[in-house]
Amino acid sequence: MAVKRTIAFDACHATVPAALFAGAVALAMLAVHPVCVAVSLAGALLFSLLARGGAATARGLAWQLPLLALVCLLNPLFSASGSTLLFKFGPRSVYLESLAYGATMGGLMVAVVLWFEGAAAVLTQDRLLALAPRRARTLPLLLGMAFQLVPQLLGRSREVRATLSACTAAGARSGVCEALTRTSSMLLTWSLEESIERADSMRARGWESGLPRTSYRPERPRPRDMAALAGIAALLIVTATCAWAVCAQWRFYPRMSGLGPWWACVPCALLALLPAAAELAARLRERGRR
Amino acid sequence: MSALAFDRVTFAYAGTEKPVLLDVSLEVPEGAFALLAGATGSGKSTLLRLAKPEVAPVGELSGTVRAHGEDVRSLDAAASARAVGYVFQSPDAQMVCDTVWHEMAFGLENLGVPEPEMRRRVAETATYLGMGPWFRDRVAELSGGRRQVLALASVLAMRPRAILLDEPTSMLDPVTEQAFLALLFRANRELGMTVVLATHAPGPMLDYATCAYVLEGGRAREVALEELRPATLDSLTGITHRQDGSCPTGGKTRHSDEKDVRPVLSLDDVWFRYDRDADWVLRGCDLAVGAGEVRALLGANGCGKSTLLQVVAGVLGPRRGRARNACAGDQALLPQDPRAVLACETVRDELMEWSASSGRYGAAEVDAALERLGLAGCPGRHPYDLSGGQQQLLALEKLLLVRPRLLLLDEPTKGLDRAARAAVAGRVRAAASGGATVLLATHDAAFVSSVADTASLVFDGEVTTTELAAEFLRESWLYSNSRNGS
Repeated sequence: MAVKRTIAFDACHATVPAALFAGAVALAMLAVHPVCVAVSLAGALLFSLLARGGAATARGLAWQLPLLALVCLLNPLFSASGSTLLFKFGPRSVYLESLAYGATMGGLMVAVVLWFEGAAAVLTQDRLLALAPRRARTLPLLLGMAFQLVPQLLGRSREVRATLSACTAAGARSGVCEALTRTSSMLLTWSLEESIERADSMRARGWESGLPRTSYRPERPRPRDMAALAGIAALLIVTATCAWAVCAQWRFYPRMSGLGPWWACVPCALLALLPAAAELAARLRERGRR
Repeated sequence: MSALAFDRVTFAYAGTEKPVLLDVSLEVPEGAFALLAGATGSGKSTLLRLAKPEVAPVGELSGTVRAHGEDVRSLDAAASARAVGYVFQSPDAQMVCDTVWHEMAFGLENLGVPEPEMRRRVAETATYLGMGPWFRDRVAELSGGRRQVLALASVLAMRPRAILLDEPTSMLDPVTEQAFLALLFRANRELGMTVVLATHAPGPMLDYATCAYVLEGGRAREVALEELRPATLDSLTGITHRQDGSCPTGGKTRHSDEKDVRPVLSLDDVWFRYDRDADWVLRGCDLAVGAGEVRALLGANGCGKSTLLQVVAGVLGPRRGRARNACAGDQALLPQDPRAVLACETVRDELMEWSASSGRYGAAEVDAALERLGLAGCPGRHPYDLSGGQQQLLALEKLLLVRPRLLLLDEPTKGLDRAARAAVAGRVRAAASGGATVLLATHDAAFVSSVADTASLVFDGEVTTTELAAEFLRESWLYSNSRNGS
């Protein structure tokens, strides 16, 4: 199945989704409050369903939900705090508060993973690297080369090992350590040799020419991007203030208390649901124009 | 005024006495499409690199190299970029950036071209070469053919007056090679760009070229284009496949798809894809290869030949269907890149690596192999110091020393010159004479003609047809023409 394409953030400058997803990730990581975590998880899940599709999200949840359950269930075994005793598990007492804390932390972890997966679907590597400041023009190039090298090394490592395993006439296989040393030394020599031609290719196209480098920006910020950024910045400030307020009041132990006013959670919900809402609105708008 | 002029150029690499180029004088007229032919190691790359000081080899140079009348060594970076562009052989190694648009802009960024001008040049070049549909793709996901077009585009965007290309199509299949050459030809004729192309297989370029030079023994001479044209689809070793149905291995050709022959290898309705979300690479693929048969698999890049070899080798398991291999415990696989086999510091160690584990050969056989490779005098050389052809032969020799009953070869003549291809053909035939079954994937019709008993065309993930090799080549619209020979 083809990967679903996001459209809401295609037409924006990369700084807009970068700011929005950075805010969503920060909220998910820092706001340890059941309501904040729940809305963040819901928002991340909705966006993942829209941007990455049901199959990819389901495949992710296949390991994320057991992780959530594991953290939820393990926490009471390590932290026997709280005041509402649910049951005894051998010598350990399992309290509702401890279970709720575990569920919140599990939900937080899954939400963070989902936000990163969603951000990766929108902010492709080249869009992300193009955000590097003008003063660091070689940084995207270096990072881009490093990003290319890792999958290339992994692919070649698979090729080397597959070739060796296919050469059954060569006799018994060497030990794990020996095979690892053989493969890594082969990959190192291979990469070093190739780097000579790559360096030539760079010099042949003016690298080290001594001239001041310019940079090709595939995207240019427009006034509407600036307006969107300003709006996101305002939302982030309000959300941070409200999230700090509700988190400061909230206590898990000894008894869950200090939920705070409901309206203080509204900015958190807005921020968490904004990516999915933007994507949905863009799709509906596009469908309406057909 | 000539676009490129070499005036009594003699060059010796640093640390060597013997010059690789001897008193070379040649002039390439402006707007020409010039071929620089010669075997591997004849000095073609050295000559081209001397015209681009940024990549010129280190050594002792006498004589002068001029681009459009100016000594290339006196040009600054910007002037050099305007005068001469350079495209390298490897579609992988010369890529620097992660995306197509960034790769195209890389040279312009280095020269400090202002952004509006850069956008215009990138857009015009991409449009000219028809790169629009894949302009935003990642380089790692491009095919070899597209990578080479990108390499050309990233040089064309700098708008040089002359472009030098070092074996740019040696890693491409014949169809992709023609598509690349057609683009190059357009740039030459429509934009007036001088093209100098170094190659060991000039056959496919002759229809586009306006002049040709041959490098032999360090000296260059101009030759008529017709002198470089291969007469027919010829055999590499002088022995073409017999028309009476007998095969080079001496026996009667076995056509394994006939029902009375029990195959050593068989694929029965095999389906394979690399990922559950990916497209099928093999779709209901059937194949049967008999004992002692030399079977060639032909087909375009990406048709599934390499995957088929890996399924046969047991490296990949079919998602559906059955793969049977009676020689699974006694086989050897030569991948496309011999560097996936070469693991040691010296040529001798390389050949000795599997001596103890296989128990099938010793130092005497290795000495004989070194003799065959012409490396008896330098067993201590690092395999990476050998030419591409020698590396391929070394890897093949390493596999043959363990005397596998089944030999699987993936593009064994890719990028090799005629002499190296003939040597590979000779060794494969020797293995087949020794009783080995050979399954090889290739685009090289002359190689097939020299070694194969039978040939199968792989298309759209399945074996479309299997015939006797000579019959297949004679009837083939794709492989019977002389463009593929050299």
